[in-house]
Amino acid sequence: MFVQLLANGLVTGAVYAIAAVGVSLVYGILRIVHFAYGDLMTLGAFVAVTFDTTLGLGMVVATFAAMVAAAALSVGLDFALWRPLRARRANFMSLFLASIGLALVLRQAIFLAWGPQPRAFDVDPFEVYTLGSVRLSGAQVIAIVVAVVAIVLVGLLLSFTTLGRTMRAVADDRALAAVAGIDTGRVVLATWVLSGALAALAGVLAGLVQSTFDPNFGFTLLLPVFAAVVLGGIGNAYGALAGGFLLGIVTELSTWEGFGGGVDPVYKPVVAFAVLIVVLLARPQGLLGRARLV
Amino acid sequence: MSVLTSGEFWAFVGVVAGVYTILTLGLQIEFGYAGLLNFGHVAFMAVGSYTMAILVVKSGWSMWLAAPVAVLASSVAGVLLGLATLRLRADYFAIVTIALSEIVRYVATNEDRLTGGSQGTINLAGAEEASDYNGQWQRFQDWFQEALHLGSKDVAMLLLVWAAALVLTALVALSARTPWGRVLRAIREDEDAARSLGKNVFAYKLQALAFGSALAGIAGLFYAWQFAFFSPADFAPLLTFFAWMILILGGVGRAWAVPVGALVFGVIFAGTRFFEFAPFTWFDSAERAYLRLMVIGLVLIGLILFRPQGLLGRREELVLE
Amino acid sequence: MSALLEVHDVVRSFGGVRAVDGASLDVEAGSITSLIGPNGAGKSTLFNIVSGFLRAEAGTVTFEGRRIDRLPPHRIAQAGLVRTFQTARALARMTVLDNVVLAAPRQPGERLLRNVVGAGATRRREREVRLRAQELLALVRLDGHADELAATLSGGQRKLLDFARALMTEPRLVLLDEPMAGVSPVLRGELLEHVVSLREHHGVTVLLVEHDLEVVMGVSDRVVVMSDGAVIAAGPPDGVRSDARVVDAYLGVEA
Repeated sequence: MFVQLLANGLVTGAVYAIAAVGVSLVYGILRIVHFAYGDLMTLGAFVAVTFDTTLGLGMVVATFAAMVAAAALSVGLDFALWRPLRARRANFMSLFLASIGLALVLRQAIFLAWGPQPRAFDVDPFEVYTLGSVRLSGAQVIAIVVAVVAIVLVGLLLSFTTLGRTMRAVADDRALAAVAGIDTGRVVLATWVLSGALAALAGVLAGLVQSTFDPNFGFTLLLPVFAAVVLGGIGNAYGALAGGFLLGIVTELSTWEGFGGGVDPVYKPVVAFAVLIVVLLARPQGLLGRARLV
Repeated sequence: MSVLTSGEFWAFVGVVAGVYTILTLGLQIEFGYAGLLNFGHVAFMAVGSYTMAILVVKSGWSMWLAAPVAVLASSVAGVLLGLATLRLRADYFAIVTIALSEIVRYVATNEDRLTGGSQGTINLAGAEEASDYNGQWQRFQDWFQEALHLGSKDVAMLLLVWAAALVLTALVALSARTPWGRVLRAIREDEDAARSLGKNVFAYKLQALAFGSALAGIAGLFYAWQFAFFSPADFAPLLTFFAWMILILGGVGRAWAVPVGALVFGVIFAGTRFFEFAPFTWFDSAERAYLRLMVIGLVLIGLILFRPQGLLGRREELVLE
Repeated sequence: MSALLEVHDVVRSFGGVRAVDGASLDVEAGSITSLIGPNGAGKSTLFNIVSGFLRAEAGTVTFEGRRIDRLPPHRIAQAGLVRTFQTARALARMTVLDNVVLAAPRQPGERLLRNVVGAGATRRREREVRLRAQELLALVRLDGHADELAATLSGGQRKLLDFARALMTEPRLVLLDEPMAGVSPVLRGELLEHVVSLREHHGVTVLLVEHDLEVVMGVSDRVVVMSDGAVIAAGPPDGVRSDARVVDAYLGVEA
């Protein structure tokens, strides 16, 4: 049972991890706490389900379509909203509130376009893979495989390409990066494209794993994702990855009877929040964040 | 269309605006005066509503005793939040407060025996007893209506809520002008400067949270009295965001901006119901609900972009830039 | 007789680097002491430790015979040891007068309920405090700006505001963090006069941090020199100026 929960945790954690990287990049590079990210994930899932079931083009095409749509939207929003705000030198509060407004608009748009009924992807719900004492559904296996591939690719991008290193430099210290002559315009664009694509991917995978989803589901995922980002140290993409997996695993494992009966599965999100709060009490900068002179 | 001029409808909108005023006053103290990014504010409203309901229905208290205790409970909850989270930097604090308010909502949803669970307070006991707190309030409200020879219950409630809202607004405005309020503002400006002048910043922030949460608790009381039955879904983060919108719409940092913001917000929110022109006519009524919320979101974005000082704020005192 | 402020063997590191490495110094009551040294000598860190904004890893800080190194900054300020900041921290969206009024100690009105119960005493003290604030603002010639937002003040004026605010707290020791930084030569003279008057007219002891020795030569009774986290010399200005170790420390830093 423990190992099964661990496997489930890896799946959940993988989804959190992908989303957390996107959120972390946006915060690190643009200083925006992207409250609309969950709804972007929802959008990804809904665009994908349209391409998959309604248009019958299959999951691969659907996922790519979703990633393109989310990336394009993110870039468009940069021009429409974030750029003007940057021009006004908006502070953290303004950006946060603007993203809250954006989240509202995006979610209602999804409701309007697709309606409130739950949707599901076209996957065989009875396809089960067994590995030792662990049983995983086809959806879960796909989710883990795709997630790992995506994470490895993103990791390679961030570590070994010029663009990736530039992005990390800007996230680390924007003033310094500007002085060093880094083209922040390109970095901003890349950030939106990458974070948008990751949001859509996370949304699709989450929708796959959850089997059915409705327009609210992205926001429900958002808070654990934020928790993962803060846990890993805000602005640190690798930390976000670690935080995502950690939270996914801890959340699932907390329901194990071996832990004094285990937590009621209904309370899983609460576990994520509780972990966040406990960690922050002990280490206010997060697990991998840098200690600041608070 | 007759509903547009329906007194009942607008009285209802007025009551809700009054409840929001009281809720947002709490946020004005916490953010407008002390600079605290509390995004879990609605949780304290829930604590107020539920504490009163549980004490009356499950423990048989008189509503008039349960009410102040409920407000106290909200205040204590605010202090506890502060003790746990005030040492965090601003952005973490904002996220953690949302997380905490969701925890409260989760507990309320799942602890059926205590709170009635996801169906809400109607589940606390039989339907008769379950609204006992509302029953006791109704008796008071009816007495009030009689005493002032008012035509309808809605008007009575409207007056009661707004009497409370205006008194509280005056209290909050007065508190801002005290030396206490001055310290809060200094903390908002520059915590370290305040410390270097001998002010115990942590203690003042806790006080701001205690006061702000107490106001949220009072808002919760009126919410319970107006709606009789309520459930955890009524205290979703969306309400906190509405309060923030009202705060900004009115103007951050000025107590009297809050009732103005709440009324304008109420009119926008309710008024969009009546737009009988394109593009609204393209949507059916269920869809219009989504459209309404979309408009709210767009108004918030518009405010941030074009008028961050809100209706009554002053440019020089801008907190948002 | 023990000194007003005694700093003993204080140590503090940041990420493996010892910013302050066993620094000790004494400040006598009624004196003006300058703490100087090249950039990176650890002066600001030591300042932050003495005023409670940083915690020392080892060593002690004693003020008026009382250990203060474990106290939070606001308690240290309440005890009579007040600091200013290098970039004058004017409270921008409050009026100039409010900036100073805020600093007054013993304000019953700072407890919210005292504005309801015992409001008379609160109002009386508030009147007292406002009068005193006006006096102090007149001293630094900012009284004309009393009702303007502090945001409208120039950099130099903000430093003067800092002064007035520090005085308002009725301190016994004032720590001035690079008071001349970013100040025009014209204003410098005025600021130096105020520094001296702190001792002369207000009986306040002064410890100031500067990195230009010449600026503080005329006003200091005593000069303490730091380099690489430790105190390398201390004494009257003339003696220190010609001390070989001090000259050494500044080599390559002076133009």
